[in-house]
Amino acid sequence: MREVGIAGVGHTKFGKWTEGTFVDMLSKAAVEALDDAGIRTVKGHGVDQVFVASMGSGMINRQSGVASALVDTLNLRPAMAETIENGPASGASAVKLGYMAIASGMCNCVLVVGGEMMRVVSGWEGTDFVATMLHPEAEYNYGLTLPAFAGMFTRLYMEKYGVTERDLSIVSVKNHENAVHNPVAHIHVVPSLYAIADDEDAHVINPYVAEPLRMYHVCPVSDGAAAVVLCAMDQADRFAKKPVKIAGIGQATDTHSVAEREVPTDLLAVRLAAQRAYDMAGLKPQDIDVAELHDAFQILEVAESEEVGFFEKGQGHIAARNGETRIGGKIPINTSGGLKAKGHPLGATGVSQIVELVRQLRGEAGGRQVQDAKTGLAVNFGGFGNNVVATILAREEE
Amino acid sequence: MQLKMYAYKCTCCGELHHPKHYACRKCGARSFEEIDLEGEATVVTYTKVYNLPEGYMKPYLSFGIVKFDNGLTVSGQIEAENLKTGMKVKTSVGVIKEGVGKDYYGFIFRPVDE
Ligand SMILES: [Zn+2]
Repeated sequence: MREVGIAGVGHTKFGKWTEGTFVDMLSKAAVEALDDAGIRTVKGHGVDQVFVASMGSGMINRQSGVASALVDTLNLRPAMAETIENGPASGASAVKLGYMAIASGMCNCVLVVGGEMMRVVSGWEGTDFVATMLHPEAEYNYGLTLPAFAGMFTRLYMEKYGVTERDLSIVSVKNHENAVHNPVAHIHVVPSLYAIADDEDAHVINPYVAEPLRMYHVCPVSDGAAAVVLCAMDQADRFAKKPVKIAGIGQATDTHSVAEREVPTDLLAVRLAAQRAYDMAGLKPQDIDVAELHDAFQILEVAESEEVGFFEKGQGHIAARNGETRIGGKIPINTSGGLKAKGHPLGATGVSQIVELVRQLRGEAGGRQVQDAKTGLAVNFGGFGNNVVATILAREEE
Repeated sequence: MQLKMYAYKCTCCGELHHPKHYACRKCGARSFEEIDLEGEATVVTYTKVYNLPEGYMKPYLSFGIVKFDNGLTVSGQIEAENLKTGMKVKTSVGVIKEGVGKDYYGFIFRPVDE
């Protein structure tokens, strides 16, 4: 099969977007990625296809056909254009489809832009909007939300494996510490473990959101966009920088209704997606140097670190306690700050994870650089784990 | 208005489902009969949520995943304080959301000894 790489990356500062419309935000990330790849937006630009990943542009921004709008705004006409929706995994899905478009031979260069502008609606509307991905009759109508399922999953993990609230706070603080070195992260303030976990008044600044999950165990609501330029590796010399290769992509689905899962502490779609990505890349978990795992809730970073094979089932929180997932540890996880501190604009997240891995593999990650990182794994988690995409990038030796 | 909740039983192999599917997860057959889903169940896990979505006026609400004696596991609302995993609950069907001109009905579980 034809090899595909990433030639350019772009990323807006996550947080509150104040510089215009949703398409303005997408354009900013897109232009940065095109510039990074050395693509000039003139006739003969060579971009064959544009994919936009967004879960809610139609629902919360009242705009549909966003990819068509973006391709025109960037004057990349007559490139092909589609908007991709796969919940919070829309971003990685769009990258996957870009990969397929190039691997098939139909395209040589694809621009993928993920974005979400969520801070235009109230907290309740936002919670309701995200919950629409749940099963309509068996979940959504009950008032169930993503934090509710994360809370119930956390309780099972605590009772089965001995995970504590403090462990979740350790993961949270680690990600906040990483985010300080990421200029595009939403939050640059690091909470102290003492203040959010150990102090007798910790519950005041770190109240329950969905028991036993507290505020510092849950990602914030963010606006933001991220973009990558995908290219055929056989045309790598068209671009300004040596492309980072997409070595493997895996995706898997699980039951829509979370209650139907046979073992409620398993995230089977994560396990299977990662396995498929490893198989395609010809790599094993121990070959991975840096990982971006979908920590919309801190328990997910722990559980995913087990399902992708970094640690035995039930040992992820022990590894986090021992600092094995910090930069400099055995396998650094969420060097970008993760969803917890970098932010989680749904459609942007999967693309943003890829942007971070590219920066790590190029050695452009500054104060959060993992030394000599050659391979990276990203897990983008849709629904409450019912649609998961895993992507492995690899830097080719000179 | 719906005051009964159902399991969907595969007419070919007997496998129970909830919610409804169009193909049996066990044998792949496509014909189901509705069986009343009621009685006692056991709490598998639960949570108390403080940031409810649009449409709920309460400060918090408890939810759980429970297991019926027939093996089916479902999500629902739970009206109980001092919840514990493994606790027995009884099933009722009530209003789980007030919509515009329409109420939604579903499982509301309560402690057995109440
Ligand atoms: Zn059957």
